[in-house]
Amino acid sequence: MNWFTVFPLIMVVTLIIMGLYVVLFKKNLIKIIMGIALMQNGANLFLVSLAYREGYVAPIWTSAPSADMVLPTPHALTLTSIVIGVATTALMLSFVMMIKKHYGTINSDEVRRCRE
Amino acid sequence: MNVDLLTQSPVFVLAIPLLFAFLTPLANKVSKELRNAVFLIGLLLTTLFVSLMAYEVYTMGSWIYVFGAEQPTTGLTTQSFFRITFLADGFSVLAALTIIITALGAGIYSFGHMKESNGLGKFYTLFLLTLAGVNGMVLTSDLFNLFVWFEVTSIASCGLIAYHNDRGESVEAALKYMIISVIAGLLLLFSIGFFYGEYGVLNYFLIRDSMTGSLIDILAIGMVMVILAMKASSVPMHMWAPDAYSEAPEPITPFIAITSLGSLFVLFRLLFFVFRGAVETSAIGSILIILGVLSMFIGVSMALKQSDLKRLIAYLSVSQVGYMMMAVGVGFATLGTGDYGIFGARAMEGGLFHMINDGVYKALLFLSAGGIVYVADTRDLNKLGGLAHHMPYTTFFFIIGGLSIAGIPPLSGFSSKLLIYKSVYLYNPVLAIIALVVSIVTLALIGKIFFNAFLGPDQGVGKKIPRSMILAMSILTIVVVLFSLFPNYVVAEIVVPAIEALGVGA
Amino acid sequence: MIDIVLQDIWSPIIFILVGILVSLIAYMFYLMGNPDYKRTKYKGDPFISGNRPPTDLKELHVGGDNVYWGFTKALRKYLDPLVEGHTGIVNDYVYWFVVTLAVVLVFLYIM
Repeated sequence: MNWFTVFPLIMVVTLIIMGLYVVLFKKNLIKIIMGIALMQNGANLFLVSLAYREGYVAPIWTSAPSADMVLPTPHALTLTSIVIGVATTALMLSFVMMIKKHYGTINSDEVRRCRE
Repeated sequence: MNVDLLTQSPVFVLAIPLLFAFLTPLANKVSKELRNAVFLIGLLLTTLFVSLMAYEVYTMGSWIYVFGAEQPTTGLTTQSFFRITFLADGFSVLAALTIIITALGAGIYSFGHMKESNGLGKFYTLFLLTLAGVNGMVLTSDLFNLFVWFEVTSIASCGLIAYHNDRGESVEAALKYMIISVIAGLLLLFSIGFFYGEYGVLNYFLIRDSMTGSLIDILAIGMVMVILAMKASSVPMHMWAPDAYSEAPEPITPFIAITSLGSLFVLFRLLFFVFRGAVETSAIGSILIILGVLSMFIGVSMALKQSDLKRLIAYLSVSQVGYMMMAVGVGFATLGTGDYGIFGARAMEGGLFHMINDGVYKALLFLSAGGIVYVADTRDLNKLGGLAHHMPYTTFFFIIGGLSIAGIPPLSGFSSKLLIYKSVYLYNPVLAIIALVVSIVTLALIGKIFFNAFLGPDQGVGKKIPRSMILAMSILTIVVVLFSLFPNYVVAEIVVPAIEALGVGA
Repeated sequence: MIDIVLQDIWSPIIFILVGILVSLIAYMFYLMGNPDYKRTKYKGDPFISGNRPPTDLKELHVGGDNVYWGFTKALRKYLDPLVEGHTGIVNDYVYWFVVTLAVVLVFLYIM
């Protein structure tokens, strides 16, 4: 466990904590969605960094150098997760557009007609 | 080709809603009747394949369905350990039966209720997609596949909640549910990364065999528990539930309740099947019991101050989830000790029987509330009154659903609650007393809704209730009455195989 | 060993049969009553603390917020902070989720 393998994991924790801070304390709905996008990037980075082994190359077959490759399964999981992230971000942004049309504001303190 | 249809039934339970979800927009372009027919055929075919799977499991035993192998029942050999597998055993069949009965009722109900809306092609597409997502969640035995179906379910059900987008409140409720669902999905992906990084495999069986109780494991198990309990609307993460249940279109509300029940099924399968060997049962059992008691109490207390019909029933639904978590928590906490044979297994039976009961009678309650909203055009209890003069059938169905949720004999809610009371009392008498008090307050709240909405002087209504809504509610009532008259049969044939499939049969 | 099996403690068929039997006995008592009594629709004026009852029947119906008002008023000290805690703000939803996650993880670490 040298610096080279620990550094992505520190970045993952930083990204997720920054994303959680934005979701918990910022009041603008678009900023909340950006915070969720930060968290998605952190989770994807975590999955990719799990696959790394020291000195191996990227798992691409075409014109590959003859060396061992890193594990390809987390790369597949990350691709799925990126696609799901795109879909959810698009849906949430379209919801925010409609809330602006109905309420006139996108401050989360005022978008609370369903209370108690 | 030597293909046995009964062995292939798990994939059909998943694939038929997906296929018909993509055929529905095409049929919508042709005509309205074709789209309704395609939707109904999709629901009925799914029911057929769920019953075939149930028949096969109850006569021949459970099997693992491997995707992409030459024979689907090859099992997990060294060459196929990276394939996605589905698990068809008693527990999956219990979950699939609960889901499909409610979906059938909600689907037939939606023909009558949504007659005046347009854009119905998208409605039925999202309905079938959500059904496919929940079926996938309860059938799968691969952790990343669970994440994929989890996200499919949350995206599709959020789209359905925001269906009436001419009202701002529906979109607001859908956005709130979506924000917290996506954050939960991300943390689920994070904990799946923990499992993958430690063991290198993602299948339930392989993780169960290679699991040790290290610190990272405990972190990941705790995160998965809280995430799935959030999706099942347990307190203190329940605040999305009243918004989402009340603002959804009326046929969809029992369907959102079914996604909550589905995540509760997944939580119990993960705890009992995969994580049992690595954790201290008393610690996790205590967490489940504490969350359950909080849900029961706070759910029913908040319901006392509501004046909106569907929010009140949504808070009652939150408190019923507390019953299930408490009962299964007692079962989990006594695993391995001698008390499990005495009362732990009975608490598990009570909890799982309560889950299938709850799916059916809650759907009945929500659908009859939907009938009230359709006829009277308002959800406010201050303005409703005197509807029993116009809707005799709906009054009867509401009485059956309401007495069942309050646990009054001879209905089905009483049988499961009696098992829970008797076994939880032997664990700790305070829990049984709290459960009884919550039951009594639930009965009081059902009385409040009945008095406000149905009794009183006649106030004159404009619409008649359509016949397809009455048909859907009568199907669910027949199921409730059957469960009430033969509870021994249901427990012995449906619930006990589920407990044995989890590996904790006593 | 105490074994609680559902067949031994609860049988709905016997419950319904006993219920029908008791209803039959109650009906036989009802038939022994006074045969000259005529049923009318007027059942007396409601007592509303001495005020005159309203002539319009629609105002007699008790609204949704007024049922159980004594119960909610007596439990005011417990119910009001609870309702205050249920704000509608999205940040609070995630806040409760993170707090529960932290408490559960610390609890699991200690045990």
